[in-house]
Amino acid sequence: MQHNNKSNKSFRYYLLQAVLFIALLWAADLIVGKILRHFYRRQSSGWEYATRYSAEETKADLLIFGASRAQQQYIPTPFEDTLQLTGYNVGRDGTSFFYHYAMLQSVLKRYTPKVIILDCEYAALKNAAASYDRLSVLLPLYEDHPEMQRIINLRSPFEKYKFTSSIYPYNSMLFKIAVANLKSNKEEKEDINGYMPLHKSLNEPIKTFDYTEKYELDSVKVNMLRSFIDECKSRNIKLYLVCTPYYMKIKGNDHSLAVTQQVAAEKNVPFIDYSADSFYFNRPQLFDDTVHLNMTGAKIFCADLASKLKKDLQR
Amino acid sequence: MIFNSIGFFIFFAVVLAVLYVLPAKFRWIWVLAGSIFFYAFARPGYVLVPLLITVLTYYTGIAIEQATSEKGKQKIFVAGVCFIIAILVFFKYANFFTSTFTDLFNLISGKQVSNSLLISLAAPLGISYITFQAIGYLIEIKREDEKAERHFGHFATYLLLFTKVIAGPVERAHRFLPQLKMPARLTYDNFVIGGQQMLWGLFKKIVVADRLAIYVGAVYNNYTHHSGSTLFFATVCYVFQIYADFSGYTDMALGFSKMMGYDLMQNFNRPLLGRSVTEFWRRWHISLSTWFADYFFNPIAVAKRDWGNWAVIYASFVTFTVLGFWHGANWTFIAFGFLQGLILAIEILTRKQRKNMRKKIPVWLNDGGGILFTVAYFGLSSIFFRANSVGEALTIIKKILHFNGPFFFESASLLMFMLAGIFYIVAHDVKKEFFDKRFSLAQNKYWVIRNGYYCLLIIIILVTGVFDGGEFIYFQF
Repeated sequence: MQHNNKSNKSFRYYLLQAVLFIALLWAADLIVGKILRHFYRRQSSGWEYATRYSAEETKADLLIFGASRAQQQYIPTPFEDTLQLTGYNVGRDGTSFFYHYAMLQSVLKRYTPKVIILDCEYAALKNAAASYDRLSVLLPLYEDHPEMQRIINLRSPFEKYKFTSSIYPYNSMLFKIAVANLKSNKEEKEDINGYMPLHKSLNEPIKTFDYTEKYELDSVKVNMLRSFIDECKSRNIKLYLVCTPYYMKIKGNDHSLAVTQQVAAEKNVPFIDYSADSFYFNRPQLFDDTVHLNMTGAKIFCADLASKLKKDLQR
Repeated sequence: MIFNSIGFFIFFAVVLAVLYVLPAKFRWIWVLAGSIFFYAFARPGYVLVPLLITVLTYYTGIAIEQATSEKGKQKIFVAGVCFIIAILVFFKYANFFTSTFTDLFNLISGKQVSNSLLISLAAPLGISYITFQAIGYLIEIKREDEKAERHFGHFATYLLLFTKVIAGPVERAHRFLPQLKMPARLTYDNFVIGGQQMLWGLFKKIVVADRLAIYVGAVYNNYTHHSGSTLFFATVCYVFQIYADFSGYTDMALGFSKMMGYDLMQNFNRPLLGRSVTEFWRRWHISLSTWFADYFFNPIAVAKRDWGNWAVIYASFVTFTVLGFWHGANWTFIAFGFLQGLILAIEILTRKQRKNMRKKIPVWLNDGGGILFTVAYFGLSSIFFRANSVGEALTIIKKILHFNGPFFFESASLLMFMLAGIFYIVAHDVKKEFFDKRFSLAQNKYWVIRNGYYCLLIIIILVTGVFDGGEFIYFQF
């Protein structure tokens, strides 16, 4: 009996210690999480700011969706000048259709843009774990954007439970948030309406790559591409699927691009393909690397695309 | 299921919760069932391989013990060990040997014979660890240093325990088996101490190793595009990555085991603070290096004792070349092992001179110089460990020696996280090595400070940890 009392007492003692530790941890998590949230939302420059602005503030008539080949190649200004529309580039480096579709949900919840350009690239529909991982850039928006949650939850079966922690949405963003909150950074904007310019110049002969292999496609991505098109059409948004120039020649036909073209044809949406445009094949000086135009190249490309869109919109 | 996944934490919580309510004598059944489930989770069919090794080793051990003549013991022992090694070779080295022989044949004959014998089977997880524990167990019985285990369940639990089956430590049977026969060891202290060690391992893995892995992977996977200065920095980072990764894994393995009431052997003792490469190997992967010392190095050195110093040098070369090869079926690992053997031989030959030199220079200079040299040498040999081929490693070394070109870093944020991680791990080890008794946050007598420290560790993990990280490096071995 005495032994039982002793163990009960020590059990209560240990339980109390455990409860105190959890309380301490919960409080610390809450405080640090609130501080990070405050400074995340106070950013007025940088990539995280551009992502939040795209989801919560832009009201531009023309939006550009895509990954790095959107963010770093589409300058909104030529489109604004030619089409007489306001424009914003909501692309984000390293992202995939998951991100683009989540961003579309967020935009459509607030307003209906007039024109959308969706950038399409090689291997965009490939099954890759990195595409799910890179949804991490949307984690800080999870709490305030229920429309995005279904897509962010694709990251893992436990994703929604991870948000029990207030810090988790800002994981790995500490230095980015700190730097973006510095005075000097706030004054010096990196982007032009979401477009992040590249400045290097390539100086090498064009190479040929083999794209004959039929890699596995991610059916979720393909379905999202279809939904993206359907939702734009149902709201009478003029949608253009565009593949920008490459400084490479390819043997065969990229599987993703072929499927995207097929879906575009099926849904009767224009697909404008610059990937095999010989004008760019002879001009390495227009590229930052083999898959990204530099600012000079981007200006030429955007002016050309804008005039094509103008013709199409006037029809 | 890797240790730093949510899936594993759920699995472990279930195992632990049931373990705490089960009567002591039945706990091994639950642990063994959990271990088999854990192993089968990745590839169900592959669980048959460790089970086969377990059954084979169990009966071979008893047969060795029961053999009446020395010759009989020897025969059974050799047959058992050969069978175990054959399994290892089949899964891990068959492709290496067949492609090496094919290349050699093509070179000599001038013909181009394609290698049609390559098997497309992946090696079962932790196969090297399981076989080494099994062989060590049989050697101990053969030497009559240990009795053969008669309880099959206990033996299987020893060999297949899920916290160590995939990447060690290479646990010894005489240390572990008695723990299964002892009364309950599920205590609050074990739970807390184990939990703390597990947390520290998790920190090393996802805050330090996985962060460094992003940069090291980006540079090494595109080494032709990077400058010497970038490759040099990536190599320094790799030294810390592999240390944080493997010691982090070990800390988690030891911590989880402790929470279940089992003590596994220490595997790391601040190796990057070793004053010589010899000392480094006494501190790095201790369970493997002592295994090699007991069953490989010592028998060779004793057999060749007539050679004097050269016996030790010969034994070092052979042991470390085999140890390198144990890591993987690639010439890079053989080169890695050979480089360790080479430096150990040099250290043996220069022992007297170095001892005399030590008397003439201040201790701090001697220690500091020794530590720097050890880390630099390990860094150099780790290039072979990380590279995909010897040619690739040599190109990287050549580029590093030129040390020119622009320095690449993906983002300032990544660089800051990496440097902070390296700083923390170095500071922790230096504090432990030189100022351990002065002040301790982790073992502080005040509840608030002690628990505040662990709370801070969790907060740092949440703020800076890489949650999309990959597997532990040593899983491949």
